[in-house]
Amino acid sequence: MNVLANTLKGLYDVSGVEVGQHFYWQIGGFQVHGQVLITSWVVIAILLGSAAIAVRDPQTIPTGGQNFFEYVLEFIRDVSKTQIGEEYGPWVPFIGTLFLFIFVSNWSGALLPWKIIQLPHGELAAPTNDINTTVALALLTSVAYFYAGITKKGLSYFGKYIQPTPILLPINILEDFTKPLSLSFRLFGNILADELVVVVLVSLVPLVVPIPVMFLGLFTSGIQALIFATLAAAYIGESMEGHH
Amino acid sequence: MANMIMASSKALITCSSTILPTPKLKLSPVQLSFPKLPLSNVPKPHQLLSLPNSISVILAASLAMAPPSLAAEIEKAALFDFNLTLPIIAAEFLLLMVALDKIYFTPLGKFMDERDAAIREKLSSVKDTSGEVKQLEAQAAAIMRAARAEISAALNKMKKETQLEVEQKLAEGRKKVEAELQEALASLEKQKEDTIRALDSQIAALSDEIVKKVLPAR
Repeated sequence: MNVLANTLKGLYDVSGVEVGQHFYWQIGGFQVHGQVLITSWVVIAILLGSAAIAVRDPQTIPTGGQNFFEYVLEFIRDVSKTQIGEEYGPWVPFIGTLFLFIFVSNWSGALLPWKIIQLPHGELAAPTNDINTTVALALLTSVAYFYAGITKKGLSYFGKYIQPTPILLPINILEDFTKPLSLSFRLFGNILADELVVVVLVSLVPLVVPIPVMFLGLFTSGIQALIFATLAAAYIGESMEGHH
Repeated sequence: MANMIMASSKALITCSSTILPTPKLKLSPVQLSFPKLPLSNVPKPHQLLSLPNSISVILAASLAMAPPSLAAEIEKAALFDFNLTLPIIAAEFLLLMVALDKIYFTPLGKFMDERDAAIREKLSSVKDTSGEVKQLEAQAAAIMRAARAEISAALNKMKKETQLEVEQKLAEGRKKVEAELQEALASLEKQKEDTIRALDSQIAALSDEIVKKVLPAR
């Protein structure tokens, strides 16, 4: 039995899939997932660096990087405007950062060769691969739409809980919990599943076969980023517009 | 909510560690083959009575014999492991939002809006001058029309005048020529008559001379 367990452990170490393994850091008695922080720093560095380079000296006739970043900004503004309405202006940074951070995180998990860097425990992957990241973003979205509603309508914002009829009060309250829950778990599940499928396929058939799945993964990554940003904008717009 | 998820994750992990000896959620061929161990005992009829006992023994053994390192990893294999990472990521996100707003969204958005405004302004000013251009064009066309009419009128007038003059001169010349012709004809006739008359008077003298010359011997 001991031999069996040992061979099992050896096989665990050989097979590449690691789920729920974390590279723990201790910060003041609290545990932190180091791999998530490292990759999130890389993603933030990519975002800030490319934006700083592209927007350093804007030209009237845009070229190259500036053109691309203008296109991205137009896209984000379009999403925000469609979901929030005419008062979308102040929310563009939030929606845009959500979209860009999630998008670059997802694609970094698929495109950057994180696995080259060995960690003592766990492995580097997309930051959105970790439930902490997605829940953090979802909770920020919740805070954002509460803030939007309360600054727009004051305390009468809470009137929406009994809006069609007071009977729906429990469901309306429940909605405030299901919104961040569904947002975070959708993103987390999609990205984790995508990376797992790719890893499993690569371990089974190393050649050619995983490629379509990888492209599908890139596609779903982009879609998930868009969905997260769009839903966040929709929630904010919903809490601002009111049910009159 | 976090507690709830943590609870569910704990349940999931303990459940998997009792049923399957692969609680790490690691995928390996062993995971497929190992559960067959107890199942392969099922079809044997003479072991039917001792079956639950054997399974429990195997499970207990597999749990007891698991090396401590594996057990430690089982404790750590946490998919839903909430800790300080969450607030740190939230803070990082907020910082990223502020930074991106400072270097990307606000400057580029302002730049794009200003460019839009400038283009719109230029476009509207172009529209205004287009009206002016139309007016000027109409004016130019009117001036051209007037000038053309004037020119054609002057031309017509000049043509008429010159025609009249030419005709007059022609008539004058014809009259003059006719008169001269008449005069010339008249003088010619007169000369002819004179010559005939002179010839008549000379005929007698000539014929006398001819006769004298022909008939010298007279």
